[in-house]
Amino acid sequence: MAYVATRGGERAIAQSERLYRAGLGTIDAARVAEVKRALPWLVDRVMGEASLYEPELAALALAQTGGDLYETVLLLRAWRTTQPRLAIAEPVRQERLFTHRRISAAFKDIPGGQILGPTLDYSHRILATGVLEGRPLVPEPVELAAQPAPAHQPSLSAWQKAQGLVADPPREEVAPEAIPDLTREALLFPAPRAHVLQSLARADTGGVLALGYSAMRGYGNAHPTVNELRLAEADVRVKHPRGTVFSAGCVKVSQAEVVAKEAGGIRLGFAATLGWNEVKVISAATLDLNASGAAKGSAVEEEFVLYHTEPVEASGFCIHFKLPHYVTFQSSLDAIRDAKAKTAAAAKAAAPATKTKARAPEKELTE
Amino acid sequence: MTALSDLTRPWAAMSYGFLDASAKREMRRKMLKAIAVPGCQMVYASREVPMARGWGTGGLQVTLTLVNPSSTVKVIDQGADDSVNAVSIRKFLSRVSGAKETWDTLEATIIQSRHRIPEELMREDQVLVLQVPNPEPLRPVEPNMSIAREMHADADYGRLWLILYEQMVRSGRIMQGASYPALVNGRHVMTPSPIPRWDVPKLHMARHLTFLSAGREKRIFAVPPFTSVQPLVFSDVPYRVEDHAELTCHRSGVTGYFMNEIPQEDGSSAYEVSDSNLGIKAIRTRDGEPVKIGETWYRKGAMQ
Repeated sequence: MAYVATRGGERAIAQSERLYRAGLGTIDAARVAEVKRALPWLVDRVMGEASLYEPELAALALAQTGGDLYETVLLLRAWRTTQPRLAIAEPVRQERLFTHRRISAAFKDIPGGQILGPTLDYSHRILATGVLEGRPLVPEPVELAAQPAPAHQPSLSAWQKAQGLVADPPREEVAPEAIPDLTREALLFPAPRAHVLQSLARADTGGVLALGYSAMRGYGNAHPTVNELRLAEADVRVKHPRGTVFSAGCVKVSQAEVVAKEAGGIRLGFAATLGWNEVKVISAATLDLNASGAAKGSAVEEEFVLYHTEPVEASGFCIHFKLPHYVTFQSSLDAIRDAKAKTAAAAKAAAPATKTKARAPEKELTE
Repeated sequence: MTALSDLTRPWAAMSYGFLDASAKREMRRKMLKAIAVPGCQMVYASREVPMARGWGTGGLQVTLTLVNPSSTVKVIDQGADDSVNAVSIRKFLSRVSGAKETWDTLEATIIQSRHRIPEELMREDQVLVLQVPNPEPLRPVEPNMSIAREMHADADYGRLWLILYEQMVRSGRIMQGASYPALVNGRHVMTPSPIPRWDVPKLHMARHLTFLSAGREKRIFAVPPFTSVQPLVFSDVPYRVEDHAELTCHRSGVTGYFMNEIPQEDGSSAYEVSDSNLGIKAIRTRDGEPVKIGETWYRKGAMQ
C-alpha cells in the first residue's frame, strides 16, 4: 500500500498492530512472572524511568511490548499518571536505609566499612556458551561472612561535614504537600531542587550516561570521585489519617554521591532512583555536580540535561518523524521553487556568468 | 452502618475521557488562561497519555478536556481524516468519551488537527485544536526556553524579524514554509503550528476558538474568536501564501485550495486537494448525491 495514500487507515493500523502482537504470541501471567523472575535488573531500570515502583506491572509492561524499553516506560507512565496521589511518604534517612551494597572510592575504608554486596564488577565477562550445550549456569552457593555486615550505615558525607570538608546546605523546612512534584507540574528553569532530583530519577539511563560520560571525558567542569554509592531498600513510611505512621512496604533504591575536589573544600553531586541502577545514578550525580555554573546551552547545563534525558518525550519526538509531513514539505517546496526561479531570472539578466559562491546553509525557522 | 462502598463510586479502570479529574481541572484553568492572553504560551503539567509524545498528546489533552457525550469529533492529519494517526486519535477519543465521530467539518463540534485548518469556514460553536510540535517561534534564534520566555515578556522579536530579512536578502524572498510566525492581538508572536502559509489568514478574526497545544513541550496557547492574527511581514513585501490558487485536484476536480503534490512516474506532478473530505464531498456532489459543502475561506483561490 502506498504510504501517501494509506486510505482505509483504520484497517491498516489494526492489522499492523496485530502483526506486531502476533510476533509476541500470547502474553499470560506465567510470562509476566518469568520476566519478573529472570530480569530483575531490567525491571529495576524500567521502574526507575517510569517512576513507578511496581515490579509486577513493570514486568507486565515489558512482556506486553516485547522488551521495547521506550514503549515499556510509556505504558507505565500513562498508567501511573491516572492514579491518585494518596499520601506523601516520610523522608528516607541515610542511616535508616537497609543497605545491600555501599562503596566509596574516596577512601580505602570508611566508617561502617566497604560492603560489596551483589555485583558483576569483578567478574570475568565470559559468555556462558555452555548453557546452550546443555550445561546450565548454576550459581555457586554464597559463603556467609562470619560477621554479617551491619544493615544500616551512616552516610560518609556526614563524616565529611563534621570534618568541615563539605559545606552543609541550609536546612529547608518544606511541608510535605508543598514539595514540588514533577508529575503534576511542568519543569521550568531555574528548576527547584526537588524537580532536578525527580527529573534525574526518572531520566533515561542511556541519556544520562551519554551526557554524564561527556562530562566525565572533559566536556564538564568537574571530574567526579565516587564518594558513596549505595544499593539499598527503603521503608516507605506513611502517615495514616488517624496519625499513626506505618510502613507501606519496601522499595529498592540506588543512590550516588560524587564529589569535585576544590580549593574551598569538596562539592557534592547527588542522584537517586527507584530500583538498582548504578550506571544511571553515577552519571546523573555527575551531571548534578557539573550543573552549577555551567554555561547556558552546554551539555551539562541543567535545562539542556533535563529536557534531553526525558525518555518519554525524547523517544516520542524521535519516532514522530515517521508521521507524514507532506503539508509542511509542500509549503517549503513552493518557496524553494519560487526562489530558484528568481535566481535563474536574475542570472539571465546579468549576462556574463557570475561565479556562484558557496553559501552557508540558510537559517530555517523550525516547525 | 454506612458501608464503604456507599461512600465511593464503583471502581473503574479509567475516568471518563481518560484524564482524571485533577488533570482536567488543571487543563481547564490553563485553557482559560490561554484564552485570556491570546497567543501567550501557558505552561501546563501535560500528563502522559496512552500515545507517544510528539504524536498529538497536547491536542489530545485539550480535546479530552473539552469532549462530552454530545460532542462530535473530527480528527485530521495533513488534512486527511483517514491518515493513520488521525484514525488512531479519533478512535481513542470516541472510545473513552462516547463522542460521535465525523469526517465532515460542518458536523464537528471539535476538530483536532495536525498541520492543516479545514477549507470550509468554521463557526462560533466549533473549536479547533491544533497539535503543536514546537510551541516556541523564537526557537531558531534562541533555543533556550528560559531566555525565550524573557524575550516574549519584553516583546523582543527583533531577531525573528532579522531572520526573515536575511532570507529576503539571500534568496530574494521569505523562505519560511509552514509555521509562519504571526503576531496575535498585537502583542505575542506565536507559531501557528506547522500549518501552511495558506492557512494562517484563516485564524485572523475567525469566528471559532483555536487552541494550540504542545504536549511534549508542555505549552498551550489560544486564539480566541475575533482576534487579530498578523503574519510577520514587511510593509513593502506582502504576505504570500503558496501558489496553489490555480491548481486543480485530479480526483475531485476542485480548484483553488491547498493541494498535495503527487509525483508521477513520467516526471510530472498530479495534485489532489489536501482537505481530503472536501474532495470526497465534491466527488459525491458530482455523482449526484445530496451533500452539503459549506462556505470556504478561499473562493476562486483567493482569501475572502
